[in-house]
Amino acid sequence: MSERGEMDLTGAKQNTGVWLVKVPKYLSQQWAKASGRGEVGKLRICKKGNLGKPEVSFTLNEELTEIEGMKNKSVSVPRDHPFTMQSVGGQMLTVFTENSSGQSEERSDCSSSGSGAGAGPDKLALEGVVVQRAECRPAASENYMKLKKLQIEESTKPSRLAVQLEKAVTSNYKPVANHEYNREYERRKKEEGKRARVDTQLVLDMLFSAFEKHQYYNIKDLVDITKQPVKHLKETLNDIGIYNLKGKHKNTWELKPEYRHYQGEEKTEDS
Amino acid sequence: MTSLGGSSSSTTEYTVRVPKNTSKRYNIMAFNAGDRVNCSTWTQARMERDMSARRIYGDDESAEGAGGSEFGKKQRDEARRRKYGIITKEFKAEDQPWILKVNGKGGKRFKGLRKGGVTENASYYIFTQCPDGAFEAFPVNGWYNFTPQAKHRTLTAEEAEEEWGRRNKVVNHFSIMLQKRFREQERGGDDEDESEKTGKKKKNIGRGGELHITDLEDDLMMSSDNSDSSMGEDADGKSKAKKNVGKGKKKKRKSNDKEAVEESDDGDYEGLEVDYMSDESSSDEEPEKGKPSKTEEHLKGIDEASESEEESEEEKPNEEEAKEEEEEEEGKKTPVQTEKKKKKGKTGLIKQIRTWAKLCVCKKRTPPKRPSGRGSAGSSKTGSRPGTPSIDSATTSNTLRAAASKLEQGKRQNQGPTESPAAKRLKMDPSSQSPAPSGKSTPQPPSGKSTPSSSDVQLTEEAVRRYLIRKPMTTKDLLKKFQTKRTGLSSEQTVNVLAQILKRLNPERKIINDKMHFYLTE
Repeated sequence: MSERGEMDLTGAKQNTGVWLVKVPKYLSQQWAKASGRGEVGKLRICKKGNLGKPEVSFTLNEELTEIEGMKNKSVSVPRDHPFTMQSVGGQMLTVFTENSSGQSEERSDCSSSGSGAGAGPDKLALEGVVVQRAECRPAASENYMKLKKLQIEESTKPSRLAVQLEKAVTSNYKPVANHEYNREYERRKKEEGKRARVDTQLVLDMLFSAFEKHQYYNIKDLVDITKQPVKHLKETLNDIGIYNLKGKHKNTWELKPEYRHYQGEEKTEDS
Repeated sequence: MTSLGGSSSSTTEYTVRVPKNTSKRYNIMAFNAGDRVNCSTWTQARMERDMSARRIYGDDESAEGAGGSEFGKKQRDEARRRKYGIITKEFKAEDQPWILKVNGKGGKRFKGLRKGGVTENASYYIFTQCPDGAFEAFPVNGWYNFTPQAKHRTLTAEEAEEEWGRRNKVVNHFSIMLQKRFREQERGGDDEDESEKTGKKKKNIGRGGELHITDLEDDLMMSSDNSDSSMGEDADGKSKAKKNVGKGKKKKRKSNDKEAVEESDDGDYEGLEVDYMSDESSSDEEPEKGKPSKTEEHLKGIDEASESEEESEEEKPNEEEAKEEEEEEEGKKTPVQTEKKKKKGKTGLIKQIRTWAKLCVCKKRTPPKRPSGRGSAGSSKTGSRPGTPSIDSATTSNTLRAAASKLEQGKRQNQGPTESPAAKRLKMDPSSQSPAPSGKSTPQPPSGKSTPSSSDVQLTEEAVRRYLIRKPMTTKDLLKKFQTKRTGLSSEQTVNVLAQILKRLNPERKIINDKMHFYLTE
């Protein structure tokens, strides 16, 4: 069981060599459609004698040449892809892997913040060192040209298009008073009725429970919560609370210090 | 795997597989060529995401509910943000940099930043060869560029500019490094890591570093020329260390000044006083002689003096006198106070100096503010008394005397540095031999030079008469009144003229506080 953050260095020790290959987007899309064990094609390495550079080419499997969405099969993905070999250059490239043992792959890092949704710590491993870089190029064929043309056509289409409407929109005339709004307002008023004064004690209870949740309240919010007329509420508030005019919490009500009992506050008095 | 034979070429074919459901995400860790990283040398490696940016994005705000929260604050904030069109980027854990630590605590550290734009137009795959000969291709999820992180402390912009300015002056870098380290230690090591690391890197910190450092510090104290800033830093460090910053600074400066000034001034003034005394009549001289000797005896450190200053607040008499003084002239004698009245005694000289300093600085007839730290050690309280008899002197501290003398010096620009300063010094500081410089008073002299008195006094019989009518004065006081600067006479001349005038006037004599005072009654 590896400790969190501990990297598995077996790949580095063995000096496993890997290739870093740049693959065109359409090809990687085709590869994603591979079935079964994931076999996608064949790689052919041809060494010309002793001094010649090896020629590498990749042949895509027949079944994967079909492009999704192109039912007519007029355009298909080319099959031959020679590799252009490049040296790694001065850079030192290594490959490391993250293996999240939980179900969520993307948010496995959340475990560090403590909110891990069942995801365990990431397993990090160094797989190896890049020894060869290559670029996968499609062989220049008719097929490929057609494919490219298609892609270009798609990309040149603007994402936003101005379309003319046949019929003018009539649903947003400005009425003098919004009928809908009016109706709703009247309905609401009727339903709620005037705010009746209830017993002061009840109001106090409501206030205390509200202030337990938050320290600062706006008068409007309190009116909402307690459903009291404003004047009455203010009277009650004046008893138990204070009105903050300045400071961080402007124009808010809070309980008087002697009534407060918040954790994490510097002054904690008994309520 | 099929191999086709060819005459000179051989072709091998491999199957390429792209594994479908693998939970492993492959990433590239790129190092710069210049860093010469060799993975095989790593014995142990640890890597974590650097989540320090999370709090910037404010994902976890302060206390939800309970103390300090407002009702509906979140909604309000969100509405505000939307109103102003502020779009804050989400905090994506995937994009956060990596921190790689190799070979444990003492090893290297790397920071890996994600390179953008890698997977936008083309995908990278990692081709690894399996034991069965087939290739497996894994898509690369992200590319991270790893750079080594410096462990040594780097300078901030201000520090760098400072150092740049000193580059030609400073030769001894070693001492500076040690100083810096010492300062850091004193401060308690702001950044423990760094101090640790620097400690590890430099071998010297352990070898009785403290001892060495104190030596160096002494050294540095002596040589005030080498890197003034380091001196300043030292002083700062010291003063920081000490609780009483003021005192600390005072001490330092005083000590410095003491050293500097004593050398140059001490000898000179000795001789001068003798000359002066010989000119005057012995009766006049006696009190003055007495004063020097007395003050010499009572050498006290400025600390004492300053303490006494601060303790004794003789505001009222001082004020009056100060005012009077200022009306007339600048810089006056302090009252004669015997040591017995400790309070008074100690402040005698100090007051003198303070007033000197004050008056020098504030070129106006405004009454000196008592606590105005105008600089001189004593100037925080004024102890100026108008021409009352000279000091019997209480505690003259070296520094005060020096301050006094400096002030005097400052006043007389044109003169031969020796005589007039001596003369005046005697007046205001009866016995000041060794001008004890107080760092605070040193800035006074230059400014003092330009303070003119409002009343332009000429050394006339009338003037002397006026003074003597008003109040009994000693010769010293009188001399003070007619400062050479204003009368335009040299000190010798002044002395002579004054002597003549006195003979003519023939004032009555009185002994107040063991000093001969003259006075007239009309």
